[in-house]
Amino acid sequence: MNKNRVKILFLVLVVSACATSFWNKTSAQKGRDTYLHSSASHKKINCSSCHKSPTSNWSSARGYPDVADYPDHDSCINCHRNDFFRGNRPAICSICHSNVSPRGQARFVFPVKNRSQEFKTIFPHDVHQNIIASNEKKYDVAVAHFVKANFRTMFDDDKKTQFNNCAICHPTATVLPQFTTFKQSKTEFLVEPSADNFTAKAEFFKDMPDNHASCFNCHYQGQKPVRTDCASCHRLTSPYFESKTVQRYSLKFDHASENHANKDCTTCHVRITQTSDLRSLLNADVPLLTCSTSSCHGDELSDEIGKREKSIADKEKIFQCNYCHTSAIGSFKIPASHLEQSK
Amino acid sequence: MLKFYSKLLPVVLLVFSFIPNIAQEPLPLGSLEVSGRIKINGKAEKLQRKRFYLLRGGLEENKNLIKKLESAEITSRDCFYSQMQASPQFICWLKEENCESPYCREIDKTAIESVPEFQTAFQKGLRQFGKSRSTIAQSWLITNLSPPLSSGFYLRQKSLLESLLSIVKPLQSSMTDSVSVKAIFIDIPLNLPETDGKKKKSETFLVSNLLPLEVGDKSYIWTCETEISNGKLAKLVLQVPEGDKKVKNCEVFVKDLPVCKTENCKK
Repeated sequence: MNKNRVKILFLVLVVSACATSFWNKTSAQKGRDTYLHSSASHKKINCSSCHKSPTSNWSSARGYPDVADYPDHDSCINCHRNDFFRGNRPAICSICHSNVSPRGQARFVFPVKNRSQEFKTIFPHDVHQNIIASNEKKYDVAVAHFVKANFRTMFDDDKKTQFNNCAICHPTATVLPQFTTFKQSKTEFLVEPSADNFTAKAEFFKDMPDNHASCFNCHYQGQKPVRTDCASCHRLTSPYFESKTVQRYSLKFDHASENHANKDCTTCHVRITQTSDLRSLLNADVPLLTCSTSSCHGDELSDEIGKREKSIADKEKIFQCNYCHTSAIGSFKIPASHLEQSK
Repeated sequence: MLKFYSKLLPVVLLVFSFIPNIAQEPLPLGSLEVSGRIKINGKAEKLQRKRFYLLRGGLEENKNLIKKLESAEITSRDCFYSQMQASPQFICWLKEENCESPYCREIDKTAIESVPEFQTAFQKGLRQFGKSRSTIAQSWLITNLSPPLSSGFYLRQKSLLESLLSIVKPLQSSMTDSVSVKAIFIDIPLNLPETDGKKKKSETFLVSNLLPLEVGDKSYIWTCETEISNGKLAKLVLQVPEGDKKVKNCEVFVKDLPVCKTENCKK
C-alpha cells in the first residue's frame, strides 16, 4: 500500500513538474510574441540603438559577422526600468528569455522563426544590375542579367572567371521546395483537371537568400546601406506569416534544361531590370511574349490553343494545355493574354 | 418627391449600366524590342547588359534632351580610375574582363596577390574578422576597399544620368541581356487619341541609352524614334552611322574617348 502511495505521489510530482514547465513555456512564448517593433515608441528609435551589429556571439551562431542575438538589457532599461521589477517573473523578461528567473540566461533562438514577420525586405534589383554592369563581354553564352551570370557552363570550369550574377543570390535549388500552382478563379474553370504525368525536380527551381550573408559581403561597411542601416532594407509592414511554398503558373518550366541554362535570366525575366521593388511585379514575372516570340516555343502556344479549340468544336473531351502547365492550370479557360500572343 | 425619384431611377440605372462597359475597355498597351547587335566598321559588336530608356515623343519633342546628350561630358572608365589614383594593376584587373567596377567578378587569391588595393583590403579584413577567417576577409574584401574604387564610377555615371534626366522623366527603362542582346519594353501605356473621328494607330517614342556606351576607343549615344502600336511588338535595331550618312530616325553621337595614360596590361 505504501509502495503504491509513493508511486502515485511520484507520478503526481512528475505530472505537475511537466505542467509547470509547459505553463512556463507557453507563458514565456506569449510574452515573447507581445513585442512589437511597430509600437509608437519603438518606431521612434533607430534600429541600431538596440540591435548591435555584429553581436558578440556571431562566430559561433553564424560563422560570419551578423546580428545573431537579442539586444542587451541597456537598450530596454531606459524606458522600461520599472517593468524589470514588476512581479516575481517580470513579463518584460519573457520577451527574450525562455526561462524567467534572476539567474535565467537562456534565451529563445534569435531570430524567432515562428513569429509573424513585421518587416518586408527591399532589394532594388535595377540598382544592383547597374552597379555590377561591365563594359562589354567576351563570352557568347550562358550569362545572366547582373553581369556574366550563368547557371552552369562557366561554373563547371574552375579556370574560367566567376562573374557576379543572379546566381549569387539565386542558386539552383538542391532540395525540392514546397510548390503549388497559382490559384485560379473558379469562374474560369473549364474542365475537371486530369491526372498529370509529371514530376517536378529540385533543379526546376531557384533559391533565394534567407540571411544577411549575401548582403553583408558588399554592404557590411563602406558601401551604403551598411549593416547598421537596418531600415534601408527592412520596412515595417502589417504582420504576416511567410510562406515557403513556391507558386507557379508553368510548373513544367525547367531552369536547368540545356536551352534554358544557356540564356540570361533577364532574357525571360525582363521586368527585373526595370524595377527597384519586386512587389511592383506580377509574380516576378516572365511575360508570355518572351516564350511566344522565341524561336523555340513560338509555335507551341498556337498548337495548344488549336488543340483546345478543336476539342471544343468536335465536342470531344476538352483538351488540357500541358506543354507548360500542369492540369491545375491547363484545365482553365485560355486567358486573353495567350489568345492575343497566338495571333 | 417620390414621383421625381421614381422617374430618376431608370435614368440612374441606365447610366450605371454603361459604367462596366467603359471600365472594360482595355488600356492600349504596346511592346518594344531593342536589338543591341551593331556593326562598327564591318565588325559585329554586342551591346550586352546595357540600359536603354523609353521616352514619350520623338526627336523633335525631345530636342532639349538631345542637345544635352550631345554636349554631355564623358569620363571613360580608365580615366576615372586614373583620376582616383588607382594602381595600374587595379585598372588592368578591370580591363581584363571589361569590368566597370570590382563588383563585376570574384576577387580571387591571384588578384589579391597582384593588385595592391586588394592586398591592403584583404589585410584589413584579416585584422577585422580574425586571421582564422580568411575566407570572410576574401569574400567580403570589397567592404574594405575605398569607396571611390568600389562604387565611384557607378556614382559618377548615376550623377550624369540624374543631370540628364532633370528635364525629362523616362516612361520605362530596360537592359539588354547577354544572349539575345535585346532590351524588352512591355506594357507600354499608349496615348492614342481620336482625331477627326479616327483613332490614332500608334504613338511615337524615343529610345536612348542616355549614358555613353564605350565600345573600343569610342563612346556612343543613341537617340532613336520609333512607332509603337497597340498589341504589337515593335522592333528597333540600333545602327552606327557610316561616314556622313545619318541613321534614319536617329541621332547618334559618336565621340572619341578621352585618352588617359594607363600602363599596358599583360594578358
